[in-house]
Amino acid sequence: MNSSTSNAYDVIVIGAGHNGLTTAALLARQGRNVLVLERRSTIGGLAAGEEFHAGYQTDGVLHDSGQVRARVVKSLDLKSHGLELLQGRPSFLALDPRDRGMLLGNKERRTANEINFYSPEDARQYHRYRKFIRQVAGVVNRIFDELPPAMDSSDGRTLWDLFKTGFALRRLGKTTMLELMRIAPMSAADWLNEWFENSHVKAALAGACLTGTFAGPWSPGTAFNLLLWECSAKYSIKGGPRSLIAALEKAVQSRGGEIRTNAEVSEIQVSGGQIKGLLLKDGEHIQASIVAASCDPRHTFLDLIQGNQLENWQEHRMQHIRGTGTTAKVNLALGTQLEFIGRSGEKIAFARTGCHLDHIEKAFDVCKYGRFSAEPILDIHIPTVSSPDLAPPGHSVVSILVHFVPYGLKSQWDQDQIEKLGDTVVAALEQYAPGVTDAIVAREVVTPVDLEKRYGLVQGHILHGEHALDQLILRPTPECARYHTPIKGLYLCGSGSHPGGGITCGPGVLAASVIAQA
Amino acid sequence: MPIPTPFHDRTASLCTSHRWTDWAGYCAVCSYNLPNDSEYYALRHAAGLIDISPLFKYEVTGPDAAAFLSRIMTKNIEDIPGGRAVYCCWCDDFGKIIDDGTVFRLDKDRLRVHTAEPMLAWFKQFKRGFNVTLEDMTAKIAAVAIQGPTSRKILRQITDVDLDALAYYRVLTVQLDKLPVLISRTGYTGDLGYEIWVENAAALPLWDALMSAGKPYLLQPVGLDVLDIARIEAGLMLNGVEFHNAAHCLVELQKSTPFELGLGWTVDLEREPFCGQRALSAEQAAGSRFAFVGLELDWDEQQALYAKHGLPVQFNRGAWRSGVPVYNNDGSRQIGKATSGTWSPIVKKNLALASVETRYAQNGTVLKIEYTVEYRRETVSAVVAPMPFYNPEHKKT
Repeated sequence: MNSSTSNAYDVIVIGAGHNGLTTAALLARQGRNVLVLERRSTIGGLAAGEEFHAGYQTDGVLHDSGQVRARVVKSLDLKSHGLELLQGRPSFLALDPRDRGMLLGNKERRTANEINFYSPEDARQYHRYRKFIRQVAGVVNRIFDELPPAMDSSDGRTLWDLFKTGFALRRLGKTTMLELMRIAPMSAADWLNEWFENSHVKAALAGACLTGTFAGPWSPGTAFNLLLWECSAKYSIKGGPRSLIAALEKAVQSRGGEIRTNAEVSEIQVSGGQIKGLLLKDGEHIQASIVAASCDPRHTFLDLIQGNQLENWQEHRMQHIRGTGTTAKVNLALGTQLEFIGRSGEKIAFARTGCHLDHIEKAFDVCKYGRFSAEPILDIHIPTVSSPDLAPPGHSVVSILVHFVPYGLKSQWDQDQIEKLGDTVVAALEQYAPGVTDAIVAREVVTPVDLEKRYGLVQGHILHGEHALDQLILRPTPECARYHTPIKGLYLCGSGSHPGGGITCGPGVLAASVIAQA
Repeated sequence: MPIPTPFHDRTASLCTSHRWTDWAGYCAVCSYNLPNDSEYYALRHAAGLIDISPLFKYEVTGPDAAAFLSRIMTKNIEDIPGGRAVYCCWCDDFGKIIDDGTVFRLDKDRLRVHTAEPMLAWFKQFKRGFNVTLEDMTAKIAAVAIQGPTSRKILRQITDVDLDALAYYRVLTVQLDKLPVLISRTGYTGDLGYEIWVENAAALPLWDALMSAGKPYLLQPVGLDVLDIARIEAGLMLNGVEFHNAAHCLVELQKSTPFELGLGWTVDLEREPFCGQRALSAEQAAGSRFAFVGLELDWDEQQALYAKHGLPVQFNRGAWRSGVPVYNNDGSRQIGKATSGTWSPIVKKNLALASVETRYAQNGTVLKIEYTVEYRRETVSAVVAPMPFYNPEHKKT
């Protein structure tokens, strides 16, 4: 096919993940004629439910939907499209191989009681910790909902000013503001050590800041990630991320937006610094004057745009975005329900391993050198607890994000290593859920390299670039931080932009607000 | 510690002055003899042989080789037919010069670039999307320049190839005394001359063949001191003196653009994007702040300044590159800088290369240049003069 579609669309969105669909839905709602192009045969990206074995499905590659922005749900009226946003984040079980663990949830008192089992002092501290979180949550959440500060290199404003004007920290009062400034560059471990004494408690709380990052709990800046999560994870979506995708799809289509699957963009055509059109892999050419790319910015700039259309310094910056994947996915189809030690009969939908900050840090250490730990850190989700329809009756699905699995495995990702990773994960899980090994009907192991191939994630990085302090505020690069790019008509609307990866839809909303003014 | 060039065995025994310098990590002769006047006169009236092996040499091969270099260079390399050489420069994204050099199109898919500074890392940045291979040939290829009015006659002694057909800025693969070499009608002296590029192993036989064929034509080995005089007479700039690699500059004022350096003729703006294009287009539209000019110093004023001390005019030996201020005609305001200069024995004038504000760049404009006599800072008049200062007809014929 070598047809050329005339300029029938106002905006073309590349990628039908949660952010791409959010941008598309918001712009369609404003009357723009929107086309979404998805490379895969299914939409949803990392939020898509996947059938990994006949009859067994996950509810998303990522499973934490607690950070989704309430304003997205509201402004797109996703409720009318079938989305149920539940208040309060889901409880997760901090696993302990020798005991019943700690169930940390939305209810503060109940969580404190669970902590009390490990440390009465920490149970008391937990109330103070939550109080501090509540105190700063308003301002911290603004980070998600506001455009990042304008970076005008010519006026030489300092980072201090960026913080001040951009995030209205001043409104917090001086003491709390200074406390936030103090915490931001800290490591999660140092910060948690200030609050708590028990190693289980600290490790349990640290887990939230590790998803997708090339950082251990002792890495600088991780306290900020923890703080962001603590402040913003307030909800859960009934049915998991896939339900969000279903609602977003309807929101796009109900306003006349078009979604095309199996439509892989092979080139973003640029001339004279201006978007001219898109070339699809099958040869089709689509004229375009506004393109919003929800894929990894490095893919957008370094694969889709020809080298000579970028200034050298821009390309250099894109090439130096840090974002090397550390997350693998292991999906298990079980012939039974998963039961954790000491939690028989309880409905546990989320659980995490890692009993000690140093245990987590050691798992990260080997990842730095291209290996994965024999004691990996597992972020476990059992979607069949709330959606039994994802597996045959009586059966269950265990969907595991495995932290600190290197994209660049030293010994290369071959079938042996893939199986070895699967075995390691199952063996680790067996410690906390005895009998799981024998209950496995099928197993899928998705390495960071597979994530790259399947979802187009550059270097398998599920967040489209590290959530490090320097890459969070001016994300992905200073000149692209406010969703427009040096190329006229090209916008970024994915996880590679502020406020970053995870199922927040935040980048999609903010990009749409910028494109709406174009 | 600089290392020897492939010609070192010969140059070392000829270098009676023991005056060496470090040129890009190689031992290079400043002057073979003390004094070096004979080297200068050989270059201008007979021929000189200069070891230019330390030049950085990169070979670019592959179907996109010319397109790749066009992406980097200010000149459209794709337009250059096989067998041609061009002089050009390359810039950063903001149109500020990085380096200058020559590009040889040996073949459709094979080009060679010669640079003053190491450029592999800079060039590599642009490889994305181009089917090219980039190889640093610096240590594999020796090079010698034979320059001066008798250079062609010397080469005729050792080759059957019709050298008259090798026009200015052409390159050709030939046999010189049965040694396979690449010969280019290029040079850094502004005179008739050639540069000969050869595998290291053939360096010494080539030197011997040239020296022996050159003997009846008064060929002499020539060092860098004299080359520096010659290049100023020819109005040719030097990286690190007339301009600085923008990547090394600490402040904007240290950077310069091709237009400011009088290299606008090497800039092809209307074509596929190249590095610096946007900025250079803007500069062309808005005009440049500085211009590159040649200055001739007023003889009578120099004489008068020395006469105040009861002295005849004294000259530096060879060229200077210390840099001095240039003022407007009444000396009230600094409007530029002279970056290097020399007494030219053949033009018989004190010359300087300078960068001045554009409105002072017309030929014939009289400016003032700082001139120190007996530790007193004075000024003398200097008139903007056409370059090259020395431009013999035989250079291109």
